[in-house]
Amino acid sequence: MVRIVDSELDQEDLPSPLPMSEQEEWSDVVPIPQDDGRHPVCPIAYKDDYREMTDYFRAIMAAGEVSQRAFDLAGRVIDANAAHYTAWVYRKKLLLDLGLDISSELDWVSRISERHIKNYQLWHHRGALLELLLDPKGIADKTQDERMQIPAIRRELQFVGEVIDKDSKNFHAWSHRQFVVRLYGIWDQEMAYVETQINQDVRNNSAWNQRYFVLTANQPADVFVLTDDVADKEIAYVMDKIKLAPNNESPWSYIVGLLMRHAPNMLYERLLPSINALAAADEYALAVSSTPFFWSALVDIYEEQAKALAGAEQQQAEVMAFASEACESLATKYDPIRAKYWEYRKQTLKTASAC
Amino acid sequence: MATQLAVDSHARYFRICLSGLPHQMTSLDAARMTFVQLCLVGLTALGKLDEVCSAEEKKQMIEWIYGQQVLGDGTELSAAYCGFRGGSLFGPHDLCDYVAANSANVAGTYSALCALLLLGDDLSRVDRPAIVEALRCLQQDSGCFAPHPGTTERDPRFIYCACAISAILGDWSGVDKDAAVKYIVSCCNPDGGMTQAPFQESHGGHLYCCVASLALMGRLDAIPDQQRTLKWALQRQNCGYQGRVNKPADSCYSFWVGAAVELLGGHDLVDAAAVSAFLVQCETRFGGIAKFPDEFPDPLHAALGVVGFAFCNPDGFPRMSPTLLLPESLVDRLDIKAARRSNNGE
Repeated sequence: MVRIVDSELDQEDLPSPLPMSEQEEWSDVVPIPQDDGRHPVCPIAYKDDYREMTDYFRAIMAAGEVSQRAFDLAGRVIDANAAHYTAWVYRKKLLLDLGLDISSELDWVSRISERHIKNYQLWHHRGALLELLLDPKGIADKTQDERMQIPAIRRELQFVGEVIDKDSKNFHAWSHRQFVVRLYGIWDQEMAYVETQINQDVRNNSAWNQRYFVLTANQPADVFVLTDDVADKEIAYVMDKIKLAPNNESPWSYIVGLLMRHAPNMLYERLLPSINALAAADEYALAVSSTPFFWSALVDIYEEQAKALAGAEQQQAEVMAFASEACESLATKYDPIRAKYWEYRKQTLKTASAC
Repeated sequence: MATQLAVDSHARYFRICLSGLPHQMTSLDAARMTFVQLCLVGLTALGKLDEVCSAEEKKQMIEWIYGQQVLGDGTELSAAYCGFRGGSLFGPHDLCDYVAANSANVAGTYSALCALLLLGDDLSRVDRPAIVEALRCLQQDSGCFAPHPGTTERDPRFIYCACAISAILGDWSGVDKDAAVKYIVSCCNPDGGMTQAPFQESHGGHLYCCVASLALMGRLDAIPDQQRTLKWALQRQNCGYQGRVNKPADSCYSFWVGAAVELLGGHDLVDAAAVSAFLVQCETRFGGIAKFPDEFPDPLHAALGVVGFAFCNPDGFPRMSPTLLLPESLVDRLDIKAARRSNNGE
C-alpha cells in the first residue's frame, strides 16, 4: 500500500534545468506556497523541485486555468505524487476542455505506469479514457473476431497483458482486464488467456478467480445455470491441476465455491466421487490425503450432503460422522494452525445434525 | 513466556513520524491525514499517547487537522467537496475559482475525525451538515461511494469511510444503508471472501471494509454465509495473515483480516501465538513494523501491526475497537453504539 517512489521523469517530460521561477513561460504566475500552519504534523521533507512544482500547480489549479501548460504540469505533479487526487481530476478536465487526443493520453499513462503500477487513480483514469475513446455501442454489431482487431482494444489487452506478465497477481490489472472484457463483450478469447496464466503458475489465485468470472459473468445476473456438462468439465480441469500441486488452495476453493453457489447437490453427486478417486489413486493418494484442502473440502461436501439427507436420519448421521472425522484429522494432523477452528467446526456440526 | 512487542521503540518511531517524514514518502503527501491518524492509532494502541505527546502538542495537532477542513458555503456546487482534505498540498481554502482544487476526500474526513477523537477533541468545530451532505452526493446508484467528485473510483474502502463518519457523527442521513448493504453483498465471492467489486478476487483489505461497514450499519446478518466468510478469513493465516490466497503473510493484514475475524466472532479461533511471532519478525531494530520481515517500516504497517498484535494479546494493551480504530473506552464514552462489540454478535 505504501510505495516509496523517487520520482524520475520521462525523457520527453524532463523539466528544463532552470527552476520554474526563472522560466519565461511561468513568469506571469504567482506561485501559492503551501499553507501548512504553524505546527505541521507529519510534514514531508520535500525535494526542492517537488515543492516548487506544487506551488505553481496550486496557483494555476486554483484559478482553473485551461491551457496546455496546466495540462503538462498536472502530468508532472502526478508523476511525482500519483496519489494527488485533485491533480487527476484536473488533468481529465483539461484533456476534455482542450480537446486533446485521448489515444496520446493513454500512451502517457502507459509511460508513467511502471512507476505507479499499484496506484488506484492511474487505473481508473485509464478506464475512463478507454470509454471516451471507444464507445461500446459503436461496435455492438461486430463479431468477437472483428472486435479483437480494433486497435484500441488490442492496445488495451496488450497493456494489461504486459503488466500481468511482470506481476501475475497485480490486483488492479486483473480488475481492469475484467472491465475491458465486459465493456466490449470480448469473452471468447478470455478462457484461453486464463488457462495460459494457470499453466504458467497453477497457484495464481487471480487467474483462478478470472476463470470464475469468464464462466459465469457473461450474462445478466442470476441467469447463469451450471449444467452437468460444464460442471463435469470444470471438475476434470480442477482434478488435473490438483494432480500438479495437491497442496494448492486455489483449485480446491474454486471448485467448492463454484458448486456451492450454483449447484450444491453436485458437491456430493459429482465432486465427491472425483476427489475420492484421486485420493485412492496410487500415484496421488499420499500427496492428496495429506493436504488440508482435501479434508476441508470433505467437511464442506459432507455438511452439504447431510442437509440434503434431512429425514433420512441414519444416512445423515453417517455423513455427519465422516464430516466430524475430517474435522478431527484437520485439527490434529493436517491443519494444526487452525486446530481451534476445526474443533469449533466439529462442535457446530453436532449442533446442526441434532436439529 | 508470551511474545513481547518493543513498545518503547515503536512509541519513539511514531513520535518521530509525527515530527517529519523523509522525501521518499512524498507519495503519501495526499494522504497525510491518514498517516497522522495511523501514528496516533499506534501510540494509543501502545498506551503511550499521553506519555509521548504533551497537551500543548495535542492542541497544535488539533489545529493542523482543522486547518484541512473544507467548509460548506451553502451552495449546491460545493456540497460534494466538503469534509477534510488528505493534507495541506491542496487549496488554498479561500481563493479557488475552480472548486475541485480544494477537494476533501472521504478517507481524509474519516481519518481526521478519528485523529481528533484520539487527541481528545470534542468535534465541536466539525461542519457536520456539510459532511453529511457530501456523503449524500458521493453515494452512487450502485450503493457504493466515490471518494470525492470527478473520479470513477468506487469501492468498499469508501463505503467504510462513509459508515465510520456517520457512526462517529451519530448521523446516518447521508447514507442509504440498504443500497450500501446491497453493494457489499454483491462483493461476496463464492470462495467466502469479499472483493472490491462483483467477480473480483477476494482480498483481505476489502473484506475488512465490507465487514466493518456491515457491523457499523448493524447488518452483519446480510452476509450470505457468515460461516464461510469466517472460514475464508481464518484460512488467511499461514503464520501471520496473508491478504489473498497464495500470497505471503503481510503485517497489515493482522489488522485487516484480524479485525474481520473479531467482528465475525472468531477471536478464540485464531492461533494468536503464530500471528504475534510473525509480527515480532517484522519489527525493526530502531522501532516500527515493516510489511515483511527484514524490510523498512512505515507508519501504516507499524500502526496496524500494533493493533493486530493487541487483538492477539489483549491483556497487555488498551482494547481497540475492531470497527473504528479507536479505543473501546472512547467508543463507549461517545456512545457510538454500532462500534461496540456487544452489538456485533459477541
